[in-house]
Amino acid sequence: MKLDADTMKPIYVQIAEWLETEILAGSIGGDEKIYSQYQLAEMFNINPATAAKGLSILAEEGILYKKRGLGMFVSPGAREGIQRKRRDNTLKQLIFELVLEAQRLSIPENELTEMIRQVKNGLKGEMKS
Amino acid sequence: MNAVECRDLTKAYGSLKAVSGLSFIIEENKITGLIGRNGAGKSTLLKVIAGFLQKTAGEVKVFAENPFNNLTASANTVFIDDDMPFPQSLCLDDLLHTAAGFYGNWDMGLAKGMLDYFSLDSKQYYHRLSKGMKSIFNVALGLSARCPLTIFDEPTAGMDAGARKDFYRALLKDYLQHPRTVLLSSHLLNEIEDILEDILLMGEGQKMLHAPVSHFREYALGLGGKSRLLEDLAQNREVIHKYHVTEDHAYLVIKNDLTEQERHQARLAGVDLAAVTAADLCVYLTAGKKGGIDDVFSKSTLV
Repeated sequence: MKLDADTMKPIYVQIAEWLETEILAGSIGGDEKIYSQYQLAEMFNINPATAAKGLSILAEEGILYKKRGLGMFVSPGAREGIQRKRRDNTLKQLIFELVLEAQRLSIPENELTEMIRQVKNGLKGEMKS
Repeated sequence: MNAVECRDLTKAYGSLKAVSGLSFIIEENKITGLIGRNGAGKSTLLKVIAGFLQKTAGEVKVFAENPFNNLTASANTVFIDDDMPFPQSLCLDDLLHTAAGFYGNWDMGLAKGMLDYFSLDSKQYYHRLSKGMKSIFNVALGLSARCPLTIFDEPTAGMDAGARKDFYRALLKDYLQHPRTVLLSSHLLNEIEDILEDILLMGEGQKMLHAPVSHFREYALGLGGKSRLLEDLAQNREVIHKYHVTEDHAYLVIKNDLTEQERHQARLAGVDLAAVTAADLCVYLTAGKKGGIDDVFSKSTLV
């Protein structure tokens, strides 16, 4: 992943989201150890304090838990938690952007849903091949 | 423990106050970026901290001691800028060995590795190197000294983009393995902000803002759109920067204290919200009171 300097999202949020995506993809399972702040700092070329902030957001949300002296681990229910959070925040926000742009272009709702359906079918086709 | 502590620190050259009533604390083992425009007093401050210059008034403490004429401070501090007073009769290899004798934590492997990587011949003489190569040697020496207080004052002068990137990466990697207090001044905040923990922003010898990098990134919000709309939004808010794109279109930077609801409303009304980078914020916060560069040119209408 490349960090995006221009977005409103602070780097530590981007780190937290990257870790979430890794957990969603199953790269790191429940009760497995997650990257340390120093590993993340080296991987993304960022200050370790920034990486630590990304980890602590996820700890506060219960997606990660601390084992004293051993570091941070992925909570057993992390995937479900992330899915719920992403649906309630990220997806809703994206849909808001989508609807707003459609309104600017005066695209009716049925045309919009048809466009979504087409993209979805396209994705399915690409994933098969 | 605090690595650097300044209270009402002033350094004057004659009647000119380069540093004026500066107070701040830098905690141990943090990388802090010192940012400011030309003439803001960055170099003077760093030289006072390094013990090269005597303060005029106030207090400065490095590892709890006044650094001026202090052997403890100078053995624990390395200061790198683009004007290193190396003797002309010594080749790079001699310089490294001299440094090794002075700095207790010196890592010769790192020094040689860096010289090798950047294809610097250790039998070469320093004053014969190009400007960029001099800078590369300087930072290699600064890193290899592994001093508890490592000061880099505009260390990348003359270095090409690739070398600068390599240096920032080397600094971060060495810092991860050997945490220490690093002060790094630069005009190129965009390039260094990711590896910083804090930023100390200076303007006209004074402290403008001293906070974590994330605070700088979230401090301001850019608003673009119809002037009329923006004026409504800006009411009772701190306006940091204003720019008229056209007669009725403007770009406004305000302190980022809008609620989620207000942002939502603004977007629906057709206002573009944009992030303000830490670098841009620093420019706005230290802008002079003489208007903008546009005012230097007479008003003309481009067709």
